[in-house]
Amino acid sequence: METKLTSEPVPNGVTKGGARIVVDDDEDVLSPTDLSELLAEGTKESHEKAENCQFVKDFLRGRIQRELFKKGTEALYFVYSAMEEEIEKNKDHPLIAPIYFPTEVHRREALGRDLEYFYGEDWESQISLTAGTKPYVDRIHEVGEKDPVLLVAHSYTRYMGDLSGGQILKKVAQRALKLPSTGEGLNFYQFEGIHSHKGFKQLYRSRMNELELDSETKERLVDESNRAFGFNMMVFTELEEIGKSTKEEVQDAGFGHSHAEIMEGGDINKCPYYAAKMAASGNPTYACQLAMMLLRHPPCQVALAAWVAVLAGFAAWYFI
Amino acid sequence: MADMDPATTTQTESMMEEEASLFSSLDIILVTLLAGVVLYFVMNRKKPEPIPEFKKLDTPAPTTRETSFIEKMKKTGKNIIVFYGSQTGTGEEFANRLSKDAQRYGMKGMAADPEEYEMGELSRLSEIPNSLAIFCMATYGEGDPTDNAQDFYDWLQENDDEDLSGLNYTVFALGNKTYEHYNAMGKYVDKRLEELGAKRIFDLGLGDDDGNLEEDFVSWREQFWPAVCEHFGVEALGDESSIRQYVVKEHTDINMNKVYTGEIGRLQSFEVQKPPFDAKNPFLAPVTVNRRLNKAGDRHLMHLELDITGSKIRYESGDHVAVFPTNDSALVNKLGQLLGVDLDVVISLNNLDEESNKKHPFPCPTTYRTALTHYLDITQSPRTNVLYELAQYASDPKDQENMRKMASSSPEGKFPTSNLHWSWVLDSCRSIIHILEDMPSLKPPIDHLCELLPRLQARYYSIASSSKVHPNSIHICAVVVEYETKTGRTNKGVATNWLKNKLVTDNGHKSTVPMYIRKSQFRLPFKATNPVIMIGPGTGIAPFMGFIQERGWLKQQGKEVGETVMYFGCRHKNEDYLYQEELEEAEKTGVLTQLNVAFSRDQEHKVYVQHHLKKNKENIWKLVNSENAHIYICGDARNMAKDVQAAFYEITEELGGMTRTQATDYVKKLMTKGRYSQDVWS
Repeated sequence: METKLTSEPVPNGVTKGGARIVVDDDEDVLSPTDLSELLAEGTKESHEKAENCQFVKDFLRGRIQRELFKKGTEALYFVYSAMEEEIEKNKDHPLIAPIYFPTEVHRREALGRDLEYFYGEDWESQISLTAGTKPYVDRIHEVGEKDPVLLVAHSYTRYMGDLSGGQILKKVAQRALKLPSTGEGLNFYQFEGIHSHKGFKQLYRSRMNELELDSETKERLVDESNRAFGFNMMVFTELEEIGKSTKEEVQDAGFGHSHAEIMEGGDINKCPYYAAKMAASGNPTYACQLAMMLLRHPPCQVALAAWVAVLAGFAAWYFI
Repeated sequence: MADMDPATTTQTESMMEEEASLFSSLDIILVTLLAGVVLYFVMNRKKPEPIPEFKKLDTPAPTTRETSFIEKMKKTGKNIIVFYGSQTGTGEEFANRLSKDAQRYGMKGMAADPEEYEMGELSRLSEIPNSLAIFCMATYGEGDPTDNAQDFYDWLQENDDEDLSGLNYTVFALGNKTYEHYNAMGKYVDKRLEELGAKRIFDLGLGDDDGNLEEDFVSWREQFWPAVCEHFGVEALGDESSIRQYVVKEHTDINMNKVYTGEIGRLQSFEVQKPPFDAKNPFLAPVTVNRRLNKAGDRHLMHLELDITGSKIRYESGDHVAVFPTNDSALVNKLGQLLGVDLDVVISLNNLDEESNKKHPFPCPTTYRTALTHYLDITQSPRTNVLYELAQYASDPKDQENMRKMASSSPEGKFPTSNLHWSWVLDSCRSIIHILEDMPSLKPPIDHLCELLPRLQARYYSIASSSKVHPNSIHICAVVVEYETKTGRTNKGVATNWLKNKLVTDNGHKSTVPMYIRKSQFRLPFKATNPVIMIGPGTGIAPFMGFIQERGWLKQQGKEVGETVMYFGCRHKNEDYLYQEELEEAEKTGVLTQLNVAFSRDQEHKVYVQHHLKKNKENIWKLVNSENAHIYICGDARNMAKDVQAAFYEITEELGGMTRTQATDYVKKLMTKGRYSQDVWS
């Protein structure tokens, strides 16, 4: 059997004796020690989770109420104010200076303008820090004071996101809330100081990779970034809760969004609210429907059976 | 109880007596029990009966909703249908706008969600005269269709034997260049429909959300409609004024303080300058230096310095300076002559749509002269929609016909415009002035022309200085654009000729340049110790003059500075070796650790920067792979940047021992991580 001894010629004519060297996952080539790559890999799961939050999914589908959007903007204001305050305090710290880009990314002022648009001139007195946002804000202040390098994780988590998927959210919000095309209410999504989002993200990554960090600190940064994702999801959850309670209030106004799924299912009668409303308004058919529906419930059936059994027993007792 | 014995009869009798008294209550209990049970079962049987009123509210039963768009179009008299694949609503919005547009051209359109209709009916569109299907398709995720277009996408893929020969179509794609599968869905639909026999009547439009999606859409649509009209032999609604967007108003008695004389934003902003300075409020920077850079040759390369003292303007090396040029006054006069009008009347062009945010096409009130000098682009080759709208003003019917012809799509679909437009206008580099000169029967009214001409844009130059060394001065390095056209005319670049003529002193007073800074992301590494490889042939050297000055300054400050490598290229050492003295000095003092210059035309065969790169491949590879070097490319996008990138692939492949694919990935990764940056122009 013939074995190939010579290798295939390399394009410019230089041959290497033996097999072609295939480099695979070699550190020299791919540098998986770069912070930007470690962060991207290490937060993939958190990122997916956040994307699949009900609040985010609804938002992307254009199901976002004006009140919720305002509350969201409020929460962001507190988060970014905290983050930018801490970054400002630490701007000369050797591990913060390379990623210090106030003109390009800082959002506090833009958020202030958005809040002014939504709440009027005295917006500052109308906004407050909610329970769901407080842990996030507190953590930012904590790291700013005790371990400033972790601010890099917070900065990465928010700003890189804002410059990517955040742009899609802007379009959705503009349409869903019928916000003016001139951009009021959406200044948060407008990065006036950045000409190319892609270019800036590349620059930001190169700066992160220039930070002199040992592998332990890099790991802590990945952890902190995941923590930041967690804090963001807490805020989403709080917004979801607020959203649900406002939905129930909207019930009487007519068939709201909450009915959407039921409608899609096909049978309006399945909607308990609807049937109850109809029964209450005295419609006999619906009272029967309601009764019927209750009867369909296994617990109700058990209760009825029990009642029948009790009566039968009572009757038997009388007979005997 | 059948086997009752006599012993129990008395009991029974007494029981019966008892029973008699109990009967009524037991009765009630039994009856209620029975009734309840009966009721329960009866109700259960009635269960499947639906309540009549709610049948309508059940989810769309196909029988009650029209899923045939053909039937819908026939019923409502529509001939144009615009399908949209939209996730965030932009595609849908564009579709709605297009369907409304149809009216202006005497047609009727409707927007439609492909999820709601039977897309298999596309072949039936031929049943409707002058029908057209427009597709606004957005790409989602990794080149996927949007949710509402998934079924349509599947249908397109599965039905190979579908015959769509009666279908006229066109596609506008919405996407984002930062994603790898840029506009995959739009491109697929455009290609697939053609494969299935449909007739493409206008070229695929590509919208880039990373750039300016709205602009892409508007420019595509402006050329699209004239092509549609041409294709169907339909004329835009006969009444001219119905297509006009603005109406002109002459001001006979107006305070000249209220008239714009070239300001971009606020009235009098050129007279009373107030920071902060930006795109709407440029700073008038005096020119302190304007010298020729090349020693010989027929081109004119120049170095300018703008003084920004007192403006509070800050910049960083790598940033761009934006300047607002004006048109050559000789050209403006020529235009006035050809149109036969007095350019100095004060006018306003007011939007007919009072709801619109855009009240005027440019700052008004102003004179025609100011508009043609400062606000409108009069040297660009006019686009097809402009020619189409001007056609009505050609008194010679042959001229009219030709102008309309230019708006239609080319048969091969090769160019975005017709062959005639391409050859007579674009390839021959004819401007509106040239067209008016060569078509004497064409006499458009100046106000309509002002509505159609595009705005004169600011021009951007990479700043050739470092703010550390020159905090109050911004340097520009540019080559004057001037070339002969096929018609024997000489075309001159607007901004470069305007800059060339900005002499330091002009009749005693200083020349000024309205400018502002646009921040870029082209930056030296944060750490001075990081090696840099700069590749900037020709005027691409500009930002690197800033980088070199800055690294020199850092060295002077006593900082440790890493390898600073420069690859420059030009035609002839004795002609256009830009900044030769400065570069050689930097090499001598060690600011530049390596200086490589390629003179392309000093020998028989062409020698470019990429050849020098490959010659030094070992050194390049060491710097890039082991020493974390940052690579910077500046200059020509079309050829140089691509050739240099290819050189890097080759070096990586060879010295990194990788396959072509791996080498490509390696370089692409460098770009993502910001270690391979480009500032290129075409």
